[in-house]
Amino acid sequence: MNDAIHMIGVYTKTIMKSWFQYKVDAVLRSLAVFLRESTGIIVVYFTLLKFDTLNGWNINEMLFLFSLLFVTYGILILFFTGLRDFSGTVRSGNFDRFILRPRGLLFQIIFVNADWFAAIGHGGLGILLFVLSAGKVGVVWTPANIIYYLFAIAGGVLIQGAIFLFLATLNIYLLETGSLKEVFYWNARKFAGYPISIFHKVIQAGMIYVVPFAFVNYFPAQFLLRKEDMAAYPEIYLYLTPVVGVGMYLLAYLFWRVSLKHYKSSGN
Amino acid sequence: MLKPYLAFAKKNFLNRSAYRFNHFIGIVNTLLRIFIFWCIYDALYGSRTEVDGITMAMVTTNFVLSIGMDAMFSIDDYYLSGRISNGSIANELLLPISFKGRMLFENLGNSMFQLVFHFVPALIVAALTVGFLPPVSLPMFLLFLISTILGYGVLWTISFAMQMFAFWLINVWSMVTIKNVFINVLSGSMIPLWFMPEWLKPVLDVLPFSSIYFTPVQIYLGQLTYGEIAYKCGIQGFWIVVIWLFGNLLWSRGKKKLVVQGG
Amino acid sequence: MSGKEGYIEVKNVSKRFKVNKRANGIPGMIANMFRPKFEYKHAVNDISFSIKQGEMIGFIGPNGAGKSTTIKMLSGILYPDSGEIVVNGYKPYEDRKEYVGNIGVVFGQKSQLQWDLPVIDSFELLKAIYRIPEDKYKKNLERFTEMLDMSGFINQPVRQLSLGQRMRADIVAALLHSPQIVFFDEPTIGVDVVGKETIRNFIRELNKEDNITMIFTTHDMQDIEKVCDRLIIIDKGSKIYDGKLLGIREKYGTTRQLDVEFVENYDVAPIEKVTIQELDELDGRKKRFIFENREVQIDELMNTLLSGYAIRDINISEPEIESLIRKIYNGEVS
Repeated sequence: MNDAIHMIGVYTKTIMKSWFQYKVDAVLRSLAVFLRESTGIIVVYFTLLKFDTLNGWNINEMLFLFSLLFVTYGILILFFTGLRDFSGTVRSGNFDRFILRPRGLLFQIIFVNADWFAAIGHGGLGILLFVLSAGKVGVVWTPANIIYYLFAIAGGVLIQGAIFLFLATLNIYLLETGSLKEVFYWNARKFAGYPISIFHKVIQAGMIYVVPFAFVNYFPAQFLLRKEDMAAYPEIYLYLTPVVGVGMYLLAYLFWRVSLKHYKSSGN
Repeated sequence: MLKPYLAFAKKNFLNRSAYRFNHFIGIVNTLLRIFIFWCIYDALYGSRTEVDGITMAMVTTNFVLSIGMDAMFSIDDYYLSGRISNGSIANELLLPISFKGRMLFENLGNSMFQLVFHFVPALIVAALTVGFLPPVSLPMFLLFLISTILGYGVLWTISFAMQMFAFWLINVWSMVTIKNVFINVLSGSMIPLWFMPEWLKPVLDVLPFSSIYFTPVQIYLGQLTYGEIAYKCGIQGFWIVVIWLFGNLLWSRGKKKLVVQGG
Repeated sequence: MSGKEGYIEVKNVSKRFKVNKRANGIPGMIANMFRPKFEYKHAVNDISFSIKQGEMIGFIGPNGAGKSTTIKMLSGILYPDSGEIVVNGYKPYEDRKEYVGNIGVVFGQKSQLQWDLPVIDSFELLKAIYRIPEDKYKKNLERFTEMLDMSGFINQPVRQLSLGQRMRADIVAALLHSPQIVFFDEPTIGVDVVGKETIRNFIRELNKEDNITMIFTTHDMQDIEKVCDRLIIIDKGSKIYDGKLLGIREKYGTTRQLDVEFVENYDVAPIEKVTIQELDELDGRKKRFIFENREVQIDELMNTLLSGYAIRDINISEPEIESLIRKIYNGEVS
């Protein structure tokens, strides 16, 4: 355990050192992530200046919905950057190198790449949005609500981590998975910024049962906000986020273990 | 004269087909982006037929065209920085062809591929699902094509100038990302510029971003008179020249820096 | 040098890959996008060999012969489709974590150093990864730095190093944890003559002093001649030669080839004890003359050619691995 923590420390030091070789870029990096992620929010802000509400959700409620997405991602990216970038790791041959080192493969993938700047950019934005909106959406922050919130965050991180792990595993079979990741993660995440009730039934089903982003932010937000459009979904969904998170992560991990045997290495 | 450059364009065109699966998913990706915005505006419009004189069909057309163009242009923002960080720039500068010309034509090869195998299929699917308006007239359609090419020019020169900072920074990911934030918010591909707050509209008019996608879209929808079209296309041309000159200034300084470093 | 027999045992190992068959040109591209064709390629086909502890093996073959695939299976990166590999009691692909602490791998084409950081930072990282005790780390680092003359650049970022310097640093990186087996995959590729010599001497010395088992793939016959005791040659996934280098060096070291560019595509009359090959270059104007050093005097051969034909260019060289392999097929070497 101590050895693992020491190793994580050394990896982190190496990452920091590498990044600060390019000083201007390192400083700009967090800012860039912050701005990039603000794009969707700026767009929603301008849009709601014109249209007031989106299917009954006002701007503060929208910001609260967004904040769940960013807080979970900020935590997620500290641990799962390596899975996000795994196709590059395979293509460059770095995964071969991981196999040749006497450390766990997932351990190396995770800690060789932790993206601290993205974490600060996303997490910072999430916290900012939470602070801006949490007091204005009519939620009473009772201990029960706070505990619910923390479990929802943990579940949301695991759900997205499982998606990353699943997509990373696909790289063992496919040479190039950038677009798959784009559709199943990044685009799904773009949908997730909005109340899923505005979308076609098929997309709603996708967001609940296929790439279950609805459990990352929509249902947890609904638990706290109770907007009218919740009537369309079973009440139980408000409580499932942690279960979905753990279940999906275990499945993805199983898929990863089974797939390693089929690893082909690059350059053959 | 052009032959080697066309060869580069062709090479890139052909290379694109290697990742077949990736490509199909890329089209799905473009369609999803269009679809999300369509859903959002469908919910926003509700039972209204128009807002500020803008119909839902016009909004849809705006998204189909600008998101489609974005996918088609497919600019490689890391063309130069990749070559600087791996050192191959030194050799490529020795070749008896213009590096900048090669950069443009390799991208054009990509864009042609995207036009045929991405933009057109996406357009057909969009027409069958969310639907979009036909061009108002043939002359307007031709002017739309010209303006689209100019829009590509503006986007390419912005990327070109931005990439030159790689001579100093090497890693330009952050700059590129920030650039894209401006393009996404201010070009009309995520929020139709009609719906921007009134105080922001004069600012948008003096920035180059609205001339990338929004000007062609306005021409396509017949929102501009011939006089306005001439003016707007003039603005596009103005930006291409100004940003190109700026990029070139950075290029010649950056190249010197490279020589001083010893490549 | 003595050591355990059967230290590395490879038994009937095969590995195949699915490859996409691509047609040419734009029509081919479109066809491929809609109906990709696949075929199976046997990268390694039923290979067996056994290596003693402390042996120094040259592992050669033309491009795509299956060298890298074999190395990757031996080092645990790839699972064999069939057959069995046992190295020092471990199955590389199954006992990965325990096994890889005992091996070092140098990929000449792919550095394991941190590109943006000074060399020493990569070494410190490896020290943590392999849990190398401080005293052993210091001892190894000092010794290797001295042997490879690295003190001048150990504090420089890797991206500023020459290829030869980088390769030396990469070799040290693979050795810091004192592995008992080291795989070198093209460790001299792209390195200048002096650099190659330094690397060869170092490898040779280390093999002798520390009794490290080494497997060495290369394209460079000089590498093999100067470094290896035993040669395993594979071609198209199969083993075609396995034996002492000495026998091969006698026969092979005496073969010469003369590449001649004629002014026209002449019908060159047969010359005694010389094999004439047409090369598919310059519309047949280029031909290759292969002969044994002891049987044919080179100046006589050149005189014959110069007096009979108009010649533009002449180039003499030792034959490549490919021609050695041809000889093996022809039964000239066994």
